[in-house]
Amino acid sequence: MFNVSDPTPGLKESFVKGKPSTGEVAHDCLCRHEHDSRARVTIFRFVLALQMIFFTLASPWQTWSHDRTTTEKAKGVERREVRIPIEDFTLTDQVSRPFKFQSLRGKVVIVAFAYTTCPDVCPLITAAMRQVQDGLKGEERALTYLVTVTTDPEIDTPKVMAAYAKRYGVDLSNWAFLSGDEAALKKVWKNFGVGVKRKARGLIDHTTLTAVIDRSGTMRIAYVGTSPDPKAILQDVRKLNRER
Amino acid sequence: MNAKESVLLVVLCLIGIGCGRSERMDALYAQRCLNCHGPVGKADGPGAAALQVRIPDFRETVERRSTGQIRRIITEGRGIMPAFDPALTPAEINDMVRMVRFLSREGRDVAWWEKYDVLVSAHCSVPWDAVLGYDEPLEPAQTSKPAPKG
Repeated sequence: MFNVSDPTPGLKESFVKGKPSTGEVAHDCLCRHEHDSRARVTIFRFVLALQMIFFTLASPWQTWSHDRTTTEKAKGVERREVRIPIEDFTLTDQVSRPFKFQSLRGKVVIVAFAYTTCPDVCPLITAAMRQVQDGLKGEERALTYLVTVTTDPEIDTPKVMAAYAKRYGVDLSNWAFLSGDEAALKKVWKNFGVGVKRKARGLIDHTTLTAVIDRSGTMRIAYVGTSPDPKAILQDVRKLNRER
Repeated sequence: MNAKESVLLVVLCLIGIGCGRSERMDALYAQRCLNCHGPVGKADGPGAAALQVRIPDFRETVERRSTGQIRRIITEGRGIMPAFDPALTPAEINDMVRMVRFLSREGRDVAWWEKYDVLVSAHCSVPWDAVLGYDEPLEPAQTSKPAPKG
């Protein structure tokens, strides 16, 4: 942006060069002063016009991005400490095997709800889960399990879930991607308090819950909203793993 | 107008219909792509800032790729970008391919997308307490009543 009080040398020079050389210093100074003043006024008007054009063009984008930012803030991320017993359930993993949730007793389990064609928060949640998995060291890996439960049984077959896991480069030794028929999933969603609304094929509006379950199968921490902080989840996992 | 000119006109009309943009293309882009790729494909959508990966700018990449390559990325996904097969039909995926081609060449006024804002934010917005009313942490249920005094 221009500095009005100090116009660029190029512009100043062009005005000086354009003046007649009379030899009278006082007159020359007066003319130069008058020309400089006119130049400043011209530049000031130019800058003002530029600003008006900029703000006119930027306004729709600012309004739109402001609305979106507000929406994002409203979503936020909330961490709640709870005590909600999770009922046993059986779903199907990414290689079409039955997966019993109760088989994870004795481990701290992180459960996230997502669907593979989500263009919004789910990719962030799965990426955060992947960071949590990477952050588990040594024995922690054997004591901790990650589970992604689909919110879109219409699209997310075991094959689709397997491809999703592969794209994220996850280690499937302690992470399962679960799907199943709608009736079985509805019970699980309800047990975790997850609302699911189908908007269109492959487009689901749902609660973005990432839950940390203790070794006895009770939900202890709930992250609701946009992507949870992987470091915070790791802290929760370590704390729950220390409980005896 | 002779027969040849008539046939040529019909062919041009069909190409025009096939290559033209439609409301469905706009809605698809708004629902599935805009959040990350942004209103003109510049990778500056409202969700892009939260991602820890760089999203390609359409204007730099699409022109260097064949239609088959673009279709493959849309159907199979790439990295954290979703795979839209089998969720979308082949016709819808073709629409997405045309849309990214259009955006990479011509762009689109940001204001155009305002009417689609509801579609952009139609994901992942159901509050947690909508189903069971978990407003407060649940305490273990009291199974025994206090013994009456006296």
